Amino acid sequence: MAKDKNEFKIAVGEPVGVVAAQSMGEPSTQMVLKSFHSAGMSSVVTTTGLPRIIEIIDARKRLSFPTMHIYMEKGAEKSYEKAKAVKRKIEGVRLGALLSSFQENLRTASMVLEFDREKLSANDLTTKAVLDRIRHSFENVEVTNDGERATVKYKGKRDIKGVRMTFVRIRGLTVAGLEGISKAVIQQDDNGNFYIMTAGSNVAGVISIPGVNKDRIYSNDIFEIQSVYGIEAARNLIAHELAKTIGDEGFTVSFSHVALIADAMTYSGKIRSVGRHGITGDKTSVFARAAYEETVKHFVNASVFGERDMLKGVAENILIGKQVNVGTGRIRLAIKKDDLRKIKAASE
Amino acid sequence: MQAEAIDHIRFTTISPEMVKRMSVAKLIVPDTYNEDGYPIDGGLIDQRLGVIDPGLKCKTCGGRAKTCTGHFGHIELVRPVLHPEFSKTIYLLLQSTCESCHRILLDEKQMEQFRPVVKNLITTDVIMEDNIETEGKLAMLTKKLKSVKKCPHCGAPQQKLKFERPTFFYLNGNKLKPDEIRDWLSKISDDDLAYLGIDGKATRPEWLVLTMLLVPPVNVRPSITLETGERSEDDLTHKLVEIMRINQRLEQDIDAGAPQIIIDDLWELLQYHVTTYFNNETPGVPVARHRSTRPLKTLAQRLKGKEGRLRYNLSGKRVNFSARSVISCDTHIGINEIGLPRRLAENLTVPFYVTKWNVERGKSLLSSTEWPGVLNFIGRDGMRKRVTELNRQELLGALEPGVVLERQLMDGDLVLFNRQPTLHKFSIMAHTARVLPGKTLRINASITVPYNADFDGDEMNIHVPQSLEALAEARYLMQPKDILLSSRDGRTISFLFEDQIAGIYLLTKDGTMLTKEEACFMLANIGVYDLPKPNKDGMYSGKAIFSMLLPKDFNYENKSPKGKAVIKNGELLEGVIDTRAVGDTGTMISKLFIEYGPDFTSQFILKASALALRMDYQKGLTVSIRDYYNTPEMDRERESINREAEERVRMLVGSYKQGKLESLPGYTRRETYEMLIIAELAHARERAVSYLNKVLDESNNAYLMATIGARGSLLNMAWIKMLLGQQQVRGKRPSRGYSGRVLPFFKRNSTDPIERGFVEQGFMEGLTPLQMYMHAMGSRDSTMTKSLVTAVSGYLQRRLINALQDFYVDTNLSVKDASGALIQTIYGGDGIDPAMAVVAGKS
Repeated sequence: MAKDKNEFKIAVGEPVGVVAAQSMGEPSTQMVLKSFHSAGMSSVVTTTGLPRIIEIIDARKRLSFPTMHIYMEKGAEKSYEKAKAVKRKIEGVRLGALLSSFQENLRTASMVLEFDREKLSANDLTTKAVLDRIRHSFENVEVTNDGERATVKYKGKRDIKGVRMTFVRIRGLTVAGLEGISKAVIQQDDNGNFYIMTAGSNVAGVISIPGVNKDRIYSNDIFEIQSVYGIEAARNLIAHELAKTIGDEGFTVSFSHVALIADAMTYSGKIRSVGRHGITGDKTSVFARAAYEETVKHFVNASVFGERDMLKGVAENILIGKQVNVGTGRIRLAIKKDDLRKIKAASE
Repeated sequence: MQAEAIDHIRFTTISPEMVKRMSVAKLIVPDTYNEDGYPIDGGLIDQRLGVIDPGLKCKTCGGRAKTCTGHFGHIELVRPVLHPEFSKTIYLLLQSTCESCHRILLDEKQMEQFRPVVKNLITTDVIMEDNIETEGKLAMLTKKLKSVKKCPHCGAPQQKLKFERPTFFYLNGNKLKPDEIRDWLSKISDDDLAYLGIDGKATRPEWLVLTMLLVPPVNVRPSITLETGERSEDDLTHKLVEIMRINQRLEQDIDAGAPQIIIDDLWELLQYHVTTYFNNETPGVPVARHRSTRPLKTLAQRLKGKEGRLRYNLSGKRVNFSARSVISCDTHIGINEIGLPRRLAENLTVPFYVTKWNVERGKSLLSSTEWPGVLNFIGRDGMRKRVTELNRQELLGALEPGVVLERQLMDGDLVLFNRQPTLHKFSIMAHTARVLPGKTLRINASITVPYNADFDGDEMNIHVPQSLEALAEARYLMQPKDILLSSRDGRTISFLFEDQIAGIYLLTKDGTMLTKEEACFMLANIGVYDLPKPNKDGMYSGKAIFSMLLPKDFNYENKSPKGKAVIKNGELLEGVIDTRAVGDTGTMISKLFIEYGPDFTSQFILKASALALRMDYQKGLTVSIRDYYNTPEMDRERESINREAEERVRMLVGSYKQGKLESLPGYTRRETYEMLIIAELAHARERAVSYLNKVLDESNNAYLMATIGARGSLLNMAWIKMLLGQQQVRGKRPSRGYSGRVLPFFKRNSTDPIERGFVEQGFMEGLTPLQMYMHAMGSRDSTMTKSLVTAVSGYLQRRLINALQDFYVDTNLSVKDASGALIQTIYGGDGIDPAMAVVAGKS
């Protein structure tokens, strides 16, 4: 049976939003709440399953596991050496990781740092550069250098808590690599290309590093993508991440549905969450908002501003008992007055 | 029919004048009934506010309890009090205006600068620490207004205004009384209000300070008479009584010239009662309680939440013409049908609109004294009369076009069928009724999938469409046979599963031969009265029998571990039919649907499943404990799997302790170590699974069912025959209980996997107490998780639906929402229905 092309088209009036919501929601009932895979050891941790979906839908600013995929620039995709060089530039190195040992002396409020020469050179760093970094970031410390060994003296008010805090903070200082990226690993994809997977995301930083393929940077941080690449990119990322998360759980959902959700979250030009502070909270209808959450607040504000509810949406019409304005409810019959009169006359 | 449609609804605040206009009675007595149990005039149950007792008449409209919807009354407050819900608005208004000239504390330039954000000043309760422009500006505006020292208009110095939740205001430490606030607010000009986005005609800010309290009709707060004859008043009435009582005392004290301090105390008490009257959960206010210490349910509580007016009563509609019963299955009922108990059919009705063309049919229905007959007769005047033996003849005489008969449900009527939770649109579908003896609702097992139903006591609901519009929707949009392709992903919602898969496999596997008698019996059973060609021995192959269900020009191929299935010209030539063809992962049914349409496909599912079950009866299929007996080799293999796992873990432990273990990105070394051990132990189980796959064959029914996808999995078998493997709690190995050990008699910090929940035995062998304990920990965790997931995902779905429910496809295939905003220029980027995506060749 050859089907007419038009039969593939979506029906006019179809409440596609509800269908999309159901198509996302129904499989999520069967998803596990566990956020980690027990298998798949080799890769970087990411949130998966229902928690990740909620993270996206909520438009959370701070992800529990931001991550990036960085490919090397054209011609060097298969060079492990190149990837290693780039990795060194982006992986954040904390000062503590460069030490072979350290000693805190709380009585004299000083700390002796013993640098590991090998680790320093592995990160293209010198003792001097590192110590300058400390001087630059902390005001009330005095740093003296003596070969591989350095002494940091705390000059501020002498309270143990303050001293300790400062020392811990110094050892946690990022002295190389990019802010926000705590780990990077080199991976190989199916085509034999090397790419760097990171824990933490810093798109703006990665772009400016020579040797990376600027057209192939992937980050799962929606807000960062928005600020660097714009809202359309963020929309694509939302849709892609939703589809991927659902797919990884072994469910299939048509891309049209996740795309619609992504568009709903971004069409205003900003990323809005699905819920009280986002899409639903921005609705024009007082009733739609009140029937969702924070009922009283919406009525109170509506009365101060003399708001009008035009009763166009679904929730409002259910509330007042009218037919809903989507699907078959959008269809109205029209008849010319003359014709109506004729029919009436005929049926009498 | 809607006489008049509501065009829009506007929200405003009510002025004292408006309260007076709306009110039919000024209430003066803080009491309800007198000693005779009669409503007191001027009391809170004043008969002018409507009546709820049967027999009494409303003094305003003369209506009875059933007809009078009630009328508002009012209380005149001797001293004004703040409306607590508006106190934040009041604060912002006071903050934004000059205390002496009452103009906005911004000069013209600033007013222009802040114009875009000024409305959010009042609506936004939390100013987000966002870098988005409007919100940043809003924060600036708030700061600016707070820091103004001198009014830019009159030059008056501004004192520090302090707001103390919920209803107290201080100007430079001196309390602002509600009447002073009212004065201040009333002097703000409409123009200045307009700048803040407030329409002075709709809401004058001084109205936010109450001088008149509107009292809702008694119908809103009915009193209940207990069995003892005692009257029990509604919470609102209680609260209003208290407001009136304090109001009266305040009035007396003022008249008597009581000291200011006493008056102020009473005034504050009045404010408290009014506050809790509006919202008994106002932060910072002690909760008003009933005598029984139960918190009172006042106005805000009535509206709020899942059991509130909005969600429970207004959004939650209730219906007639519905029924509910336990479901059970019936092999001979199609996926598009439903078997209805006779008793339901007798009590559910369908309107029969009598026209000049069907009067005769109406007559015969109305004459019938038994099912299917007519229950109610609705005359042209709209009066509904019950049809009885006494009035049947009279009604037959009155039968004419325009009359509506409510006839009993019959075979062939379309009814809606629903199971809760109604998670997607396939949880309500239209089925054709078949009235049957018995008391349960019967459906084909293959249609349970979209409903997520089973027959262990599930109940489902029926709704009978009443209007022609509803019927048309059911007929054209809701029948399972027509919506067989899911709008979620384009796969079929109904397919064969479990026994049906087993049966169809047994039938179509190589070597299945049936005698003529058997073949005739099986085919006739599903309504096929032809025989395929026999082979030279006069036997009929199962493949040939199955082919009888297929159209003569149907071609299909699929790959399965059991071999490639090939169907050419409606003939199953080689391979078997199992779950990968007609089951959840198969594509054969959707191919049939696309090529031969809904009716053929629904019949195919019915016939194939009935045929399959007949085959099950014929061959017999069971799981016995023998399927799980291990040969000595199997036991040896398990032993070696366990030993190897142990060895590998030992190596991991070693390299961890020596510090040789490299940590995985994003994890600490300890976490990496744990994860690698879990992976290693999971590998042990995988080895057991692949071992079973290697040594078992189809003589083992449990194995057979697992491999064809009928029921169970090899993992299940491994659990029983081989080992349960690593038990997990919150995705990790059990680790807590005692310091450094799970159970007190373990060695501290032991590296033995067994002491961290690795179970080396299977169910067949039985678990040791220790193993059972570990397994129970894992089970408990997964039970808990499951119940948590339902709550979390239920809320996710509610949010999604609330956010997206207004979206629809416009005539040009764009997606818009209720306000007309354009969401997508063309739905899904191509305008293709997701249900048809597979057909349309969209991946």
